[in-house]
Amino acid sequence: MDLLSDLLLGAQTAFSVWNLLYCLLGVFLGTAIGVLPGLGPTATIAMLLPVTFGLAPETALIMLAGIFYGAQYGGSTTAILVNLPGESSSVVTALDGYQMARKGQAGKALATAAIGSFVAGSIATVLIAFFAPMLAEVALVFGPHEYFSLMVLGLAASVVLASGSLLHAVGMILFGLILGLIGTDVNSGEMRYTFGLWSLADGISFVIVAMGVFGLGEILSNLENETERSTVLTKVTGLMPTRNDLKRIAAPVMRGTAIGSVLGILPGGGAMLASFASYAIEKKASKRPQDFGKGAIEGVAGPESANNAGAQTSFIPMLTLGIPSNPVMALMIGALIMQGIQPGPSVIQEQPVLFWGLIVSMWVGNLMLLVLNLPLIGLWVKMISIPYGFLFPAIVAFCAIGVFSLNNATFDIWLMGLFGIAGYVLRKLDCEPAPLLLGFVLGPMLEEHLRRAMLVSRGDATTFVSRPISAVLLILALLLIASILAPQIRAKREEAFQDEE
Amino acid sequence: MFRYVFTAIGSAAVACAMSMPAAAQDYPTKPVTVIVPFAPGGASDTIGRLATQIMQPTFGQPLVVENKPGANGAVGAAELSREAPDGYTIMAASIGTLGINPALQEDLPYDPREDMEILTVAVRTPNALVTRPDIEATTAEELIAALKENPDAMLFASSGTGSSDHLTAELFWQVTGTSGIHVPYKGGGPAQTDLMGGHADASFQNLGAIANFVREGKMKMLALAASERSPDFPDVPTFAELGIEGMEVYSWQAFAAPKGLNPAVKDVLVTSITEALKSPQATEQLQKMGFEVLANSPVEADAFVADEIARWTEVIKAGNISPEG
Repeated sequence: MDLLSDLLLGAQTAFSVWNLLYCLLGVFLGTAIGVLPGLGPTATIAMLLPVTFGLAPETALIMLAGIFYGAQYGGSTTAILVNLPGESSSVVTALDGYQMARKGQAGKALATAAIGSFVAGSIATVLIAFFAPMLAEVALVFGPHEYFSLMVLGLAASVVLASGSLLHAVGMILFGLILGLIGTDVNSGEMRYTFGLWSLADGISFVIVAMGVFGLGEILSNLENETERSTVLTKVTGLMPTRNDLKRIAAPVMRGTAIGSVLGILPGGGAMLASFASYAIEKKASKRPQDFGKGAIEGVAGPESANNAGAQTSFIPMLTLGIPSNPVMALMIGALIMQGIQPGPSVIQEQPVLFWGLIVSMWVGNLMLLVLNLPLIGLWVKMISIPYGFLFPAIVAFCAIGVFSLNNATFDIWLMGLFGIAGYVLRKLDCEPAPLLLGFVLGPMLEEHLRRAMLVSRGDATTFVSRPISAVLLILALLLIASILAPQIRAKREEAFQDEE
Repeated sequence: MFRYVFTAIGSAAVACAMSMPAAAQDYPTKPVTVIVPFAPGGASDTIGRLATQIMQPTFGQPLVVENKPGANGAVGAAELSREAPDGYTIMAASIGTLGINPALQEDLPYDPREDMEILTVAVRTPNALVTRPDIEATTAEELIAALKENPDAMLFASSGTGSSDHLTAELFWQVTGTSGIHVPYKGGGPAQTDLMGGHADASFQNLGAIANFVREGKMKMLALAASERSPDFPDVPTFAELGIEGMEVYSWQAFAAPKGLNPAVKDVLVTSITEALKSPQATEQLQKMGFEVLANSPVEADAFVADEIARWTEVIKAGNISPEG
């Protein structure tokens, strides 16, 4: 009964005219910056922060939150339409989403992403409302050992991402791990592989690698087979998913939501793993794993749901403990402090209007996003039928702007160009870029947590198996690797690979 | 004919008279770029944006904040030192960029005092000694006793190698004759999280960043590295009160410009920045974030930065902290 009155209070807050308006403004802005590759919610929120001082705290937070999850929606649009994942979570969406677009099913892919995200967002919101205080403690249980084991599991799962040769996939993961070594060593502060360039001191930004290898690499190979591409895109079929499609995506959406909700709570990069994990699970669960990477609708539905659920539950540590799970949450904490509210366990009791208003507004915002995005699908689909000669310079320009906006550095644009060429060469060699990106993202985290765990346990490696959560995660990783390496499955993979040839 | 010549000479003279000191007298005549050598959202970024926002209405020209992150501010600072000293490019940076990098990095592409003029040290916030909530020690003395009993055992979390909180821990070990294990994180947030989760034992963190965690009982605050007690925590002693000298450590943010600034231009900048920082609006908002407004004069600021560089050079040498090793 208590919860009901709390939710009622939240609804009263969220449905006030101003809050609805700012929520709409937030999700609209978020979608816009999400669609533009490279422009992320972090920079946008940082710039808008001073503007929010004049607003009521709940209104400010509702708008900022809208920008954050709006950007998650927008990001998948570019990933699906032009193979440009602007952040790590949309890499997976690009895998099958872009293949669907090439088959003329861009509309269906976009609708699937929007519906999956809405369902996941709604469920995750309910989860926050019921369990936020309890779930918060989970974030604190995870120490360096647990994170390390989680990353190992993620790395094992990344092998499943590849649809082609297993050897190539492992090679690409290793290549990604090596790229991730560039930058300042966390423990000693020493520069590694920076060639004396201070611009490389913080490592290479994910966006640069993703846009180069995926976006520019794709453009280069498209320009090579121009005629093939234009014929592919002229036959656009069904904008909306059919009843049959909806049936196919129901289970992936639910599984994605569950994974995303759980991993989203972990502040140390859990949310990022959610979409990868979901993709791996869908591929394992599917009766047609050979379709993955060739435009499987499940490969869009699952990860997109996981991504959005994770985005919602990443609010839990922020709201209940005052712990930022990502840079965006750190900014929100900053916004609250400026408003005179100290984020922490007491927020729920002392600021019920803020807490419950935000939760209800998340659901409202997700609904707005669905309503906003479904009609836009027709427009987006028309956009990709623009002759490629006009489209690709625009994509390159947006990539350059996006990459420049990261650090205001021209060096980054040259770097992106370099990765573009690398992406093209890798395509020629039948090496898929997705495992590379995952290795690149996971590598530094893996190293960071491993070395910290060793420091914390004073050099005792057995702690990885003596801590229960860590042990379970490592066993899961082992089982996953075993299932990949099991000879009969391997044979199946090769069979599937030959089918595709 | 004569008249034309006269007019020409006259106007040329006027033009000369105007153009020579014009740079100083008319300053500013075009937008001013404020380099923040960190990503949006950090302390330097917040200070830079807040100050410029308040300066804006009276400054006469737009002040544009430009984030140039990289290498603890070294990338943006190197860029500033290459700019012309015309007052149209300034920087808002941190203790790391101006006070610690010069002590830590041998081949730093800039020297804060040779290549730059420090306009003002804008704000400061003291570091506090905090521990995980369930640690046995309830006072700083007990903690020090425990550290002496078990050398090289306790885990000190920091926001990164060479960060202000890492060096504060080093300084603490040096002045108290103790030792511990340094566990670096990527930023203060993860370090604080692990401290609350009990995965690390102790840490020196900015007072503003952890004040609420202490109030909620998620961390224990044993001592403050400040010159006096904080009004928010009247029960927590300073290190000086405990008889530990030399443990006054603040994190700070300062504004800087390229070396060789015209004194008149410098004056305009210093006056408008310090007035903005001292305005009630800025002071109040900065206080909420745990910052104390300093806004001192360029002479004081330069001496302060020189002291800081000298101090950290010594700590780094004594602690044998070198990124190359």
